[in-house]
Amino acid sequence: MARTFDYPQAEEIRDALARHGVRYLFLGKSGAILLGFPDTTQDADLFVEKTAANSRAAVAALRELGFALTDAQAAEIEGGKDFVQLRNGPFDVDLVFAPDGIESFARAWERHVEVEGFPVCHPDDIIASKAAANRVRDRETLPRLRAFRDYWLRQRRS
Amino acid sequence: MSTAADQTHEWVAEFEAAARRPLRTRWRYAFIHTYKPVLDDAAYRSFDAMADYRAWCETNLPSWLGYGQDV
Repeated sequence: MARTFDYPQAEEIRDALARHGVRYLFLGKSGAILLGFPDTTQDADLFVEKTAANSRAAVAALRELGFALTDAQAAEIEGGKDFVQLRNGPFDVDLVFAPDGIESFARAWERHVEVEGFPVCHPDDIIASKAAANRVRDRETLPRLRAFRDYWLRQRRS
Repeated sequence: MSTAADQTHEWVAEFEAAARRPLRTRWRYAFIHTYKPVLDDAAYRSFDAMADYRAWCETNLPSWLGYGQDV
């Protein structure tokens, strides 16, 4: 099935997660794109704080957005998975509860960046998670992503 | 021959061009869906640990998708 993830949908997910009080951050390429990184991706990676209450809130928000989560799947997410891949909603989302290379959600939250209301990991955390994952696709992206981080920091200082 | 400095200069030009576009436009250019075999064939997957997910990718996905450590 051809699927898109357009900007109004991004606003919907942002607003639904906010309504439910979910603590999360955009991570990965989708996070970098929010910061201004010109590249392509196919899904959104959401780094969700791993607590039972937060996971419950995330499940409620995702169901509101149209993700067809069964009760068993919801229970799994609420029970504490590290990684959940969702292809059962209006767009593709990966829920990452324990990304490689990032010490803790609290540490990432301390230095996160807001872009038009979207909470986004600091580029150093996006880079750290890709460097730790060290997949072929990460190694291909990292040199350009590091150059973007340096550019982004220069723009922030000026 | 292109040098690292040339490459960085080219990237910075791309970053500057992107910075001139509103987020809505950048988003539209960024999200392009193409079918990924195996990965897109299940509506839901979950893993207890990231290491389990990485191992699953290595074992189950075509290497050319780039989700493993080697092509």
